[in-house]
Amino acid sequence: MAFEVTPIENSADLTRQPVSLALLFALAIAFFVFVTALSRIYHSQQHVLAVSSCDRGVADLNAGRYSAAVNEFRTALRYSPGNFDYELSLAEALLELKRADEAFEYLDSLRERQPDNGQVNLLLGRIAAASHKTDEALRFYHNAMYATWPSDQELRRRDTRIELIEYLLNADSKAQAQSELISLAASLNDQPNQQTRLGQLFLQAQDYERALAAFRLSMKSAHHNHADVAGAGVAAFELGRYPLAKQYLQAAVAADVHDEKSSAMLRITELVLQMDPFQRQISSTQRGKIVIQAFTVAGARLTSCSAEHDAPAPSSFQALVDKWTKIKPEITEHRLQKDPDLVEAAMELVFNIEHQTSSWCAAPTESDTALLLIARLHEGS
Amino acid sequence: MKGVDVRIAQESEPTRSASAHDRPLSGSAMVLRSMFREERFFLVLSVFIGVFSGLAVVCFRFAIEWCRIYILGTNPELSPVRLLLAPAIAGLVVAVAVIHVFPLARGSGVNQTKAALYIYNGYIPLRTAVGKFVTAALAIGSGQSLGPEDPSLQIGASLASALGRRMRLSRERMRLIAPVGAAAGLAAAFNAPISAVLFVIEEVIGRWTAGILGSVVLSAVSSVVIMRWFLGSDALFRIPIVEMQRPFELIAYSVLGIVGGLASVAFASGIGALRPRCRELPPWTQYFQPAIAGLLIGFIALLGAPQVMGAGYEYIDQAMHGQFTWQFLALLAGLKIITTILSFISGTPGGMFAPTLFIGAMLGAAVGGAEHVLLPSLSFSPGTYALVGMGVLFAGFLRAPMTSVFMVLEVSGNYSIILPVIVANTFAYVISRRLQPSAIFDVLTRQDGLDLPSMEEQREESVPRVEDAMEPPPPGVVTTDDLLERAWLIVDQAPERMCLVRLNPTGWGMLTRDEIAKLVQDGKAGASIGSVLNSGAMPYLHPDHPLDMVLRYIDRWPVLPVVSRANIGKLEGIITQHNVMEKYRDVRSD
Repeated sequence: MAFEVTPIENSADLTRQPVSLALLFALAIAFFVFVTALSRIYHSQQHVLAVSSCDRGVADLNAGRYSAAVNEFRTALRYSPGNFDYELSLAEALLELKRADEAFEYLDSLRERQPDNGQVNLLLGRIAAASHKTDEALRFYHNAMYATWPSDQELRRRDTRIELIEYLLNADSKAQAQSELISLAASLNDQPNQQTRLGQLFLQAQDYERALAAFRLSMKSAHHNHADVAGAGVAAFELGRYPLAKQYLQAAVAADVHDEKSSAMLRITELVLQMDPFQRQISSTQRGKIVIQAFTVAGARLTSCSAEHDAPAPSSFQALVDKWTKIKPEITEHRLQKDPDLVEAAMELVFNIEHQTSSWCAAPTESDTALLLIARLHEGS
Repeated sequence: MKGVDVRIAQESEPTRSASAHDRPLSGSAMVLRSMFREERFFLVLSVFIGVFSGLAVVCFRFAIEWCRIYILGTNPELSPVRLLLAPAIAGLVVAVAVIHVFPLARGSGVNQTKAALYIYNGYIPLRTAVGKFVTAALAIGSGQSLGPEDPSLQIGASLASALGRRMRLSRERMRLIAPVGAAAGLAAAFNAPISAVLFVIEEVIGRWTAGILGSVVLSAVSSVVIMRWFLGSDALFRIPIVEMQRPFELIAYSVLGIVGGLASVAFASGIGALRPRCRELPPWTQYFQPAIAGLLIGFIALLGAPQVMGAGYEYIDQAMHGQFTWQFLALLAGLKIITTILSFISGTPGGMFAPTLFIGAMLGAAVGGAEHVLLPSLSFSPGTYALVGMGVLFAGFLRAPMTSVFMVLEVSGNYSIILPVIVANTFAYVISRRLQPSAIFDVLTRQDGLDLPSMEEQREESVPRVEDAMEPPPPGVVTTDDLLERAWLIVDQAPERMCLVRLNPTGWGMLTRDEIAKLVQDGKAGASIGSVLNSGAMPYLHPDHPLDMVLRYIDRWPVLPVVSRANIGKLEGIITQHNVMEKYRDVRSD
């Protein structure tokens, strides 16, 4: 093993240096080529393993086996570190497992790599929404809406906006939701299902006029769609257009007899139409009868409300009782026909009673509700 | 087998006919020219060392991964049979290979590289690189609780040594070539060139000089470039957002430093105490020690902690991102200490860097989690605590304080983490030094029967200085303008029997009593000292000079002036050979 080492200062060595360096260079290139070949084998094997793990992960994710999906995506990332799609899938699986912090770490780094990726921004928006960080959620959702999507770009953007609107509605940010809804309406075509969804969202955002318009637009194509007529009924009801609401709600109940909500709303609508003494096309006799009925309903409300509470009633409530008791003898058909001011006075007392009792007493009956709606209908008139 | 790692290298060390400085040269110009050429050639060679080391480390990483795939399988959930048998059988194969074919491949490789530098003139057999490559890949790939960094370091050093021999470098350069290769190997394995350079300087070479630094940096950078070409530039783990909201949270990191320091001591003590015992067992047991270690590690994995197998970087990543509870993290840290001790004391080739980082990350995240439970107001980020924990164990266990700080900075790429890292590392380092005076590499060196210089002891060693041994200035000092009779009066009373002369404009000279007496006899008592002084300027020292510098001049000048750095004409004291010897005697008796 022993060998001689000649120092570098030897002139022969000095001349040999360039040759040595050339040999080293050649050796380095040969080694490099060898490692490149090895690297290709290695990376192709890693790629195959990564793809198979990812495929299993996607299957697990679709089947709701999120833990298994996380393991598979992690394995895929082990074989293909930093792969964008695998990290994104892993983040999705982690989100399904409610491991939002961990998912955020992945998504945040993915966003740094592709700031305009729609899916990444959408998932980040969901995380922010779940954490009730509204500003952040809005920013990410908006990024997602204007981002690039690999396929069905318009559809994905629309879905993202709808998701944002739903989040805003849940967060009780109705004003922001309405402005998003207006943008959404502009981007939709006349397809019934899209208009139905739009109408429902407008309903949730309490923009009943636009909701009614959306349902009507949808009904042009699908006349007997239950969701449309029910939605239109609700919108018309909320707008105080009770005759129209009655039509739609009747159609909704006819289309689906199990639609309890429409049935209840229809009953109230009918009561509103029956119990409104200020309708123009009724006789004075009929008006008198309606006032008497309303006065009786209000009296019953006062009685039931008094019975609910052991504690002494507030003075304002007692004043209403006294006033109702005092005026009651005057409330006859004859007097009412002759004295329009009495009709006004009686109905004002009725409306006052319904307003006061709605805040202090138990849930109103359908008749009471109808009277409240009539009161709202004629407020300011 | 005790001391087998480096003693065999000693047996096969080559003999040298002459060093660069032994051989007569044609002239000083030739010396300068050749020195310059060798320096330049060495720098170019460093780049090639980096390239070859980088390529070798890339192959090593491929080999580990292939071993893992073919031994442990590709399923995320490992089968119990494989968990138990794979590391055990691989351990048996590794033991046979190490005992019969590659005896120098045992252990981590850091000490072997140091031995090459300090004992074997840079000689590491190429066979060591091959052995380390094969056995470490098999061991780590089969799940032994060891890492690839230290073997990469040794592979790099071994390749560098082989290249240096082929290039017929001088002895001085040959000594340095192993650390240059070591830095390249470590940098490629760690994907962290700064940490690799610092570690090699701090733990292997122990000193900074421009020549060494240039070569080490060049080799480290070129190896990292090669590694990234083939394996990409992604960090070993995803770095989370680093958080530290309030300054008083440094107290929480101090607690981590204390816990990390204690864990480091436990880890190092375990290895230090059990390794000699395993070596004292009958020689035939050495065939089975890695297998038994593998079996026990497989059993621990089977019980629910497969994270302790192999280097475990992917689990560090998961710990950093809060995937484990703090209780499980603490359990993993403890189990990793046990499994790494098992693997290492059994003589299985493999490194301790990755396990150290693993333990640190788990411990850091565990301590952070526990603190957050106790004090919910703390801005707990498992990633930050895990990163700091890695630095803490690095400082406490490997006892490389500077590397530990820069390693965390380099890995995290985040400067804002520096305060917690410095605070926690300092605590860990101080506690570790207090409870375990010798660093783990020094302990291993001594167990191998070698006496390599301890870098830590060198760092801590207080060097005696001139000011520690010098005497006060003599009462009289003359100038060149004074008459000789004044010098005669002074020297007559001076115990040193000489008189210091302040030269004009600067410098010092000396007249002995005999010289003055002779001049006086010659009738020159009235002459100025400048006109009769023949000896010229003498060397002088400053108070902060190392004491051994005195020895360079003391054979010619019995007394040396010690002068102020601010004013060379101001005499601070004098020093003699007797003073130096007295001081060294005191130091020895201390």
